[in-house]
Amino acid sequence: MADPFGGDAATRKADFVADVVNHTLHDLVIRCTKTEEVRNYYYVSIIGYGRTVGTALTGSLSAQSVVPIADVADYPLQIETRFKRMSDGAGGYVEMPVRVPLWIYPHADGGTPMCEAFTRTRAILEHWLHEHPRGFPPTVLHLTDGESGDGDPTELGRQIMSLGTDDGQVLLFNCHVSSRRAHKVEYPLDAAHLPDGFARTLFNVSSTLPENFLAAAQQLGVNALDGSRGFIFNADPSSVVQFYEIGTSLTGMTPHVWMDA
Amino acid sequence: MLTTRNTRAHAEPLRLDVRHFLLPKENAAPDECEDAIGINERTRTYAIADGATEAFDSGNWAKRLAGSWVETEPAPLSIESFQEWVAAQSRLLHESWQGRTLTWYAEEKARRGSFAAFVGVRFRASENLLGWDAIALGDCCLIHSRGGSVLLSLPVAHHENFNSTPLLVPSHESMHASALGQASVRAGTAERGDVFLLLSDAGAAWYLKLCADASPVRAQFDSLLAATQNESLAELLRNERRAGALKDDDVAALRISIA
Repeated sequence: MADPFGGDAATRKADFVADVVNHTLHDLVIRCTKTEEVRNYYYVSIIGYGRTVGTALTGSLSAQSVVPIADVADYPLQIETRFKRMSDGAGGYVEMPVRVPLWIYPHADGGTPMCEAFTRTRAILEHWLHEHPRGFPPTVLHLTDGESGDGDPTELGRQIMSLGTDDGQVLLFNCHVSSRRAHKVEYPLDAAHLPDGFARTLFNVSSTLPENFLAAAQQLGVNALDGSRGFIFNADPSSVVQFYEIGTSLTGMTPHVWMDA
Repeated sequence: MLTTRNTRAHAEPLRLDVRHFLLPKENAAPDECEDAIGINERTRTYAIADGATEAFDSGNWAKRLAGSWVETEPAPLSIESFQEWVAAQSRLLHESWQGRTLTWYAEEKARRGSFAAFVGVRFRASENLLGWDAIALGDCCLIHSRGGSVLLSLPVAHHENFNSTPLLVPSHESMHASALGQASVRAGTAERGDVFLLLSDAGAAWYLKLCADASPVRAQFDSLLAATQNESLAELLRNERRAGALKDDDVAALRISIA
């Protein structure tokens, strides 16, 4: 994650991914905000893995493995002031200060203990599902920049996908980012055009996109079809953004396109 | 009381009988209701507005739209006058937020502004006719019925056409030009016995479906609303919600019958 994206020396993967995750949390909070109150329509868990495996949230949020979105809203790590270009209502633009919350900082250290990360994820899900057996199942958005360093994650991935609620099975979507300038594969229907065994491993533990996610993908102009898996290999920065937009789009909501904002 | 005459029966003056009803979502307090009703009997102007739940301060935006529209003379019934009027109302709404200390997320929502669906109608008496003019943007509807048949539903004509992303009246000035220009403007005439219903989206979609299905529930709703039997009406709508026929959303209903 300390390396740049393939073909883009200016963008360190860790910086970009942290930025996307912060924007995703921001978007989820805004979606759940009704005037001045944040309603707990989402609960969030963020696991980082490298030298260690554990929650990527710090400060007062680090004590909870699953955090209600209202707490996410109220306890960012930092709120920065940035300037945003906005319409002045008279055909021109003005630079307005906006407060931008940050929950995670970029961090790149250590290997890729994917099995340990999946094990931690499974434990969090099992606990959550025991207490919340009804309703829309949890969605796991897994982002990695490399092959598992601690064994084959297939069985653990399948175990995660076998968990569920009365409304369906846990959704596991995988996004692989690469430092190499390589051909990306987005939301494939099958494993036929995947370049190697690692890609096939991730494909095999990627859920099929349900209808609402598929609609969100299509709204974003992504070439996903009925039967497409929630999987990207060799993702570039825009694919990573779309991965999070699609993965957090539910119930026909228009995906929040923050890059154009 | 309206002093014009029916075109056919010259003897009796036409009268507008107005009833209204507001029901919040299930388990919501009345002050959480984001639908609003405006009535001005003197100018014979009527309006409803439905604030978008996801937006900032939309309940107040809906109240301002419905309440102020019926008090504005002449009622803003053309696209141009509506645009000017909305711009003024937007400024007042945004001014009301000044000085408030907001969290970062409330500030972000406020920056995006409020949104509401709106429909307003004004009746006017001319020598031999009772005319009406209406303006609507969003999915609050004006439904004009005669002899049990729906003559018009404005701006959404059929129950299948309701969706989760209607165009709404934005409070943010930068969106006025693109949104308000798409308001529906319509005029017509009314006869004795005609009924005009102003309904917010969930109620309108449900009512138009009842009409399409020739459901007896429609007559039940009409008669309870006409008789101001609001407790029974609330019970009917709650039953319809439980049955899945009516979406669990605020319901604003305004019934104007021409007698």
